[in-house]
Amino acid sequence: MQNGAEIYRVEESMQFLLAAYGCVESEVFAIPALVMLNIPGEERNYTKMARVRTSSLNLRRLYLLNALCRDLCRETPDLDEAERRFAAIMEEPLHTPLVNFLTHGLVAFFFTLFWGGTLLDALVAFSCGLIVQKMVAFMNRVLANIFFTNLITSLLLAIPPVALSVVGAGVHVDKIIIGTIMLLVPGIAITNVMRDVLAGDFLTALTRFAEVLIVAMGISIGVAMTITSSRVLVGWLL
Amino acid sequence: MRFVMPCFYAALACVSFGIIFELHNWKYLFSGALTGMAGWLVYLLMEDCRIVPRFFAATIVVAALAELLARIFKAPATIFLIVGIIPLVPGGGMYYTMEALINSDMQLFVRKGLETAASAGAMAVGCSLVSSMARIMTVWRRNRHSGPRSLS
Repeated sequence: MQNGAEIYRVEESMQFLLAAYGCVESEVFAIPALVMLNIPGEERNYTKMARVRTSSLNLRRLYLLNALCRDLCRETPDLDEAERRFAAIMEEPLHTPLVNFLTHGLVAFFFTLFWGGTLLDALVAFSCGLIVQKMVAFMNRVLANIFFTNLITSLLLAIPPVALSVVGAGVHVDKIIIGTIMLLVPGIAITNVMRDVLAGDFLTALTRFAEVLIVAMGISIGVAMTITSSRVLVGWLL
Repeated sequence: MRFVMPCFYAALACVSFGIIFELHNWKYLFSGALTGMAGWLVYLLMEDCRIVPRFFAATIVVAALAELLARIFKAPATIFLIVGIIPLVPGGGMYYTMEALINSDMQLFVRKGLETAASAGAMAVGCSLVSSMARIMTVWRRNRHSGPRSLS
């Protein structure tokens, strides 16, 4: 259930499910990378561990699985039926790559307008948003870590606006970059951290908080590198 | 009237983000956008206040709306919260902090940095306050109906 759900939701859902199917004394423990489940049997314990690789946020699966969990608790159909429904949800189509690609641009576009950029700024931001999507997808393919991904991506996304302003086009560099880094800024992680804290999962919250800091640092350093090097270059050429 | 356009852009940005997060249902997308718009409207309306109370109030509105929508649609509140909180995320603060650092303007750097951290903190506190309240209310109502029973 790691499509961006909070840890307490995972634990609670599993416990409700198990209770519905009659395993009362089971134990569930989850942290961001791992889910453990133990069911005491008559002779021996049944333990299952699952390593969870963080996948991308998928709110649709999150609510569909949540609904499935409620239904299963209420109706308790047999296991085959439950498996079938689960598989049906996992096979729900995602948005096509093109839609995904273009919406990244649109997010940057609207956020630039939102922060007070002009239409020209927004158009530049649109193309930067497309760069972000391509870069993040590429970095995920070569299994780069999150710090490096964010650093390189924000380094690249800052190049078009900075270059344009050096050439002398009337763009607002700050508005464009802010609009575009909204794609990378870990807003979801921040809110999930707090929700985990108040659910009592401090271990999870600490892990996620470290992630937030690392991502924020990666973004800042990337953008800073581009701006600084452009200044050095300009100073050197003149 | 000068509030209309930013709120409109906030709503559109929320919709785009919702699509990135694989939301398909237009009802959810629309309500997510509504949440984001309401949050930003509150932020703009409180222009006389300091930055932390503004973020705090806006987050409370977003979180409360998200919990309300979750009850209406019987979906996890996180969906609406994640989409709706995005306009409030202090990306601008982060950028200006970084810019002050490369200009070696240490005073501005510390001020902007603390401001950004404080607004993120205000968001977090607002968020947790509302969802704790929602949780307490749910448990309380459940207990009243079906006798004492622990939550999990």
